[in-house]
Amino acid sequence: MTNHIDKTDVIIVGSGAAGSLMAAKLSEAGKKVTILEAGPERRLEDLTSSQIHARRLKWGGDPVEENGKQPIGNVFNSGYGTGGSALHHYAVWPRLHGEDFKVKSLYNRAFDWPIDYDDIRPYYDRIQQEVGISGDHTAEIWRPEGDAYPLPPVPAFQQSEVIARGFAKLGKQTSPLPLAVNSRDYQGRPACLWDGWCDAGCPTRALASPLAHYLPKAIKQDVNIIHNAAAARILTDKSGKKAIGVKYHDKDGAEIILMADMVVLAAYAIQNPRLLLNSADGGLANRSGLVGAYIMSHAAALVYGLFDQETAPYMGATGGQMLNQDSYDHKDQRTQGFGSFQWMIAQAVKPNDLLGYGGSNPGLYGAKLTEFMARAAHHFGTMTACVEDLPLPENRVSLSSNKDRFGIPLAHAHHTSHADSYALWRGAKQEGIEIFKAAGATEFWNGPLGPMHIMGGTIMGDTAENSVTNSYGQCHDIDNLFIAGPGLFPTSGGVNPTFTVHALTLRSSEYILNNWSGVIS
Amino acid sequence: MAFLLGDGVINLTPAEAKTRKIPFRSLDQKQVSTLDFLSDAIVPGAKSAGLSHFIDHQLSAPHEDNLLILRYLRINPPFKDFYTSALKAFEISVRLKYNKPPLDLSEAEISEFISIMRQKKPIGWPEFIEEPKQEVPPAPFFYFVLRSDAIDVTYGTVNSFDNMDIPYMAHIEPAHPWESPS
Repeated sequence: MTNHIDKTDVIIVGSGAAGSLMAAKLSEAGKKVTILEAGPERRLEDLTSSQIHARRLKWGGDPVEENGKQPIGNVFNSGYGTGGSALHHYAVWPRLHGEDFKVKSLYNRAFDWPIDYDDIRPYYDRIQQEVGISGDHTAEIWRPEGDAYPLPPVPAFQQSEVIARGFAKLGKQTSPLPLAVNSRDYQGRPACLWDGWCDAGCPTRALASPLAHYLPKAIKQDVNIIHNAAAARILTDKSGKKAIGVKYHDKDGAEIILMADMVVLAAYAIQNPRLLLNSADGGLANRSGLVGAYIMSHAAALVYGLFDQETAPYMGATGGQMLNQDSYDHKDQRTQGFGSFQWMIAQAVKPNDLLGYGGSNPGLYGAKLTEFMARAAHHFGTMTACVEDLPLPENRVSLSSNKDRFGIPLAHAHHTSHADSYALWRGAKQEGIEIFKAAGATEFWNGPLGPMHIMGGTIMGDTAENSVTNSYGQCHDIDNLFIAGPGLFPTSGGVNPTFTVHALTLRSSEYILNNWSGVIS
Repeated sequence: MAFLLGDGVINLTPAEAKTRKIPFRSLDQKQVSTLDFLSDAIVPGAKSAGLSHFIDHQLSAPHEDNLLILRYLRINPPFKDFYTSALKAFEISVRLKYNKPPLDLSEAEISEFISIMRQKKPIGWPEFIEEPKQEVPPAPFFYFVLRSDAIDVTYGTVNSFDNMDIPYMAHIEPAHPWESPS
């Protein structure tokens, strides 16, 4: 039996960074918005400070089948429940650079975006003012033009001071890491205590997760969030050119249809294409055949070391304290490979979990592990390179022959790094070792390639032949169906995606509001 | 974590559950003994921290609430076969190499075996076990997972932070911190 509930103006699938911002902006303009969230309700008081409890925030919905040489890492990179992936994100918010938008034009590789930096710059500036970013735009010498950060930079603790010496000895620059974490009270949210529990979700609201910033604004406008609502299909009219609603299953398995004038998919880069592919034979909004194609993930180049000095590795933010982007611009001038990467320096680190120092050196066991854990607690240092991943058509989300309990095909995600991206990762980790040596590390080593962030799968572009949406996330084939989030990225750049997701979503929301009648007609 | 005790449910840490000898839900006594022995050799302190109770409890937890690190590692639930098949493989391989059961290994012998299993397939480590037929994880992967679980329980707790002289600095403390008895 199918239940129908009242029509709404806009259905947004997903309550993460893009969904919550879109909901806030559309509802503040008077639109009636309903969010369908696949996972359970999360509240600030649920965000227990524990790397073990933190696992509840990660993807817990239908399994995603993964293969390829560098699988996409869906569970670790995705979220489940109110706030989505951004509830456990580390709030490292650098901007893309100008050349990230022109990779095809400049280097005859991959794609150009249908916008350039000047198009998105005002939205970066407005978002950072609305949300708050701590940083130092003058010290961040690589940053493209833009307004000064509204908040003073994050503090540098012992770990970053020790590692920064290595950069300096090699003639490299460092700056404070731009973080959407309050260095002082801002926008009614308190300053951070620098205790390193970002991955477990920030209950104080110092970190700009959806629960801290945009969802409260949306809820104030009576946006209705339906939890445990697994979207199954986007419904269209008979022409197939207009979205009319979404069919979903509730926690008890009941099938429910919600009608709307507009549908926005903001369920991240794996579930958005899954939903589109399951919504019509051959996939909805898929004239290009590119729904699901070109998924990307930054390769994390992990560098670890032990230092004689006290590093207090438990202090700071999980994203880190300092930044280096010396290897960002001029993508064709790396020592190996092609692309851009940045160093995020001195992550606050706990003893356990995948990113904990206990997991950094898995060859140690027994008494040597005990000895290592005692020393690392006070002398560990780490930094991570966020390495660009060039898009490949074979890296894609498709529908599996296996199905969930409602008969919906599971998502299958294939990902193998482009050879030049893999080489870039290899070069980054070698550079990292040289920096740690220069910093005086007594021991230094690398971790394996870790997938970090998921992008692509519903890329934006100029035409329906080369992309799924236009630059506003509006599907080429269906005017009132929008996509929001990192799935729109045609190329990954070498910076964390969440700031860009916010800027793009703000831009899209204004386009929707300015063109409402035309879009829904 | 909520453990069944008599007719009621009681919240205990794994270490407390171990001390109070709370019955296991998913693992049998032989599996528990083998798990305790191997995990404590990899991460000293894991046994007293209640690793076996932690894993046993999580094997019956709903997937979306599951706290095992295995959920990050592209293994789909249920997770019980992963552990039980690997423990069986461990026993088969140890018996083949040392001609005695795992619990009789000396400190040097178990250390030698771990040194092998963390890097490659030990002699006799099967790909499947029979009755019931279960796929066995590769030995290095099982080592990595068990080591991570053991570090979680041994080092990822409020008490263990105190023992390492580092501040826990919780915003919201775990309701029942997984701590070792001091």
